[in-house]
Amino acid sequence: MSVITNNNPKCRMALVALQNVYDPEIGLNVVDLGLIYQLDFDEEQKKIFCTMTLTTQYCPMGENITDNVKTSLKETFKNYEVELNLTFNPAWNYEMISNEGKEFLNR
Amino acid sequence: MFAPSANIAQVKTTSYKVALPFYLYAAVSFLAATLLLFTSSSTFLIHYFQPHVLAITHIMALGWGTMIILGASHQLVPVIIEGKLYSNTLAHSSFILAAVGIPLLAYSFYIFNMGELARCGGVLVLLSILAYIINLSVSILKSKSENVHAIFVLTAAAWLLFTASLGLTLVYNFTLPLLSHDSVHYLPLHAHAGIIGWFLLLVIGVASRLIPMFLISKYNNVKLLWWIYFFINAALILYIILFYFSGNESFTLLPALMLLAAIMLFIFFCYKAMRQRLRRQIDEQIKTSLLSVVIMIVPVFLLAAIIISLAFISKQNIRLVLSYGFLIFFGWLTAMILGMTFKTLPFIVWNKVYHHASSAGKTPNPKDLFAHKYFKMMMYSYIAGLIFFIAGIFSSLIVLLKCGAVLLIIAAFLYNLNVIKIVLHKRVIK
Repeated sequence: MSVITNNNPKCRMALVALQNVYDPEIGLNVVDLGLIYQLDFDEEQKKIFCTMTLTTQYCPMGENITDNVKTSLKETFKNYEVELNLTFNPAWNYEMISNEGKEFLNR
Repeated sequence: MFAPSANIAQVKTTSYKVALPFYLYAAVSFLAATLLLFTSSSTFLIHYFQPHVLAITHIMALGWGTMIILGASHQLVPVIIEGKLYSNTLAHSSFILAAVGIPLLAYSFYIFNMGELARCGGVLVLLSILAYIINLSVSILKSKSENVHAIFVLTAAAWLLFTASLGLTLVYNFTLPLLSHDSVHYLPLHAHAGIIGWFLLLVIGVASRLIPMFLISKYNNVKLLWWIYFFINAALILYIILFYFSGNESFTLLPALMLLAAIMLFIFFCYKAMRQRLRRQIDEQIKTSLLSVVIMIVPVFLLAAIIISLAFISKQNIRLVLSYGFLIFFGWLTAMILGMTFKTLPFIVWNKVYHHASSAGKTPNPKDLFAHKYFKMMMYSYIAGLIFFIAGIFSSLIVLLKCGAVLLIIAAFLYNLNVIKIVLHKRVIK
């Protein structure tokens, strides 16, 4: 599943930064795992809106993963405020893993 | 575009403070049971209704199996039911009551005194189970989604309550004639309600959710799981009916066959989940859990052999019965726990230690929290111990029983060492 962005070039940078945030159990980054649904930059308000999910509700690693996503975005874009929206609608499924992610798991 | 359905505080998992005491208690119980196995090896040459055998069985069933399952279940139930655990206080109460009750009960069996101490222990264990069931039921009722895994867990808990209630009645029946027969008569009923109703149903309910999740498998077959659920419960209910109303032992082959069908279907489920996995590599812990799934079949065949020998030779084969019980508690159940402990406990501790450590640098993975070398040594020692002890039961050679017990003590020691290593893990950030 590709991430929805508002075509702001910074979205590309944000996705690169998020590729360093990993699910500790699977060992795959949150972008290739398909956990990031949407990224938007509001330049006027200096805000980043990130909509993401977890592989399962009440995921034992959930808090850590969302914390890492927030921190990673804050560190990359120091002047921006990060607003994280966690959704389970649609729920994550295996089809959301990128081809690169599937290749990594198949190694 | 995407509906905000939760914030992270709302989908937070159970606190580590709830699960950790259960894991530690279980680890110590496992070591205690293997030590008793060594000191009481000779009783395995006599009969299963022996004080020391009863004590070891209850330490394994309650202190080891039930305690670790309760601990993991408090942690995993939110994942399974997609809802929060209702009460941490009830979870803590459940631990304290069982932690006090189990040694009282085990010691009473060891010295075979079914007086006040045994009754008190039994009551405390029963109260602990009640606290767990209330917590579980309210959690399920409050959660939005109802699913087959939650029904497995809840039904298993109901069978546990039945097992414990019957167990307590049997303790009282030793001194007060509450039942029409002596307590020994009801032992198979008590044992099978616990083994099949509690352990088997719960393990399948939870494993059918976790194994595909850990393998990252696309496979899901709810219909098949319902068939397994039906076969296990129907087998147990039919067994109870036959226990009360039929004197013909050969009829009990029918529930044994239903049980075999349920286990074969579950093995098929695991096989399909493995075939359709996205993650190619399977770690040692999952391999151990899958091994325990295969070990499940052996006790069922032993059970069939016991029934056949009872029905057609009219004589109970003590060696078969002892091997059957030993393979259930030290074989299937232990193999499953050895694997799943090192899949779940590192996560619980990792979450505790590295909570909010995201910005500090690279953290180790949960699997790095324990020594894989100890894990491998533990598994070799465990498998060798299991084979030696079973060989000892069948050959009636005390030297084999002692060798098997020593190997199992080593396995339990290494298990404890790794559990302590995980629990005492200090923050390492590169």
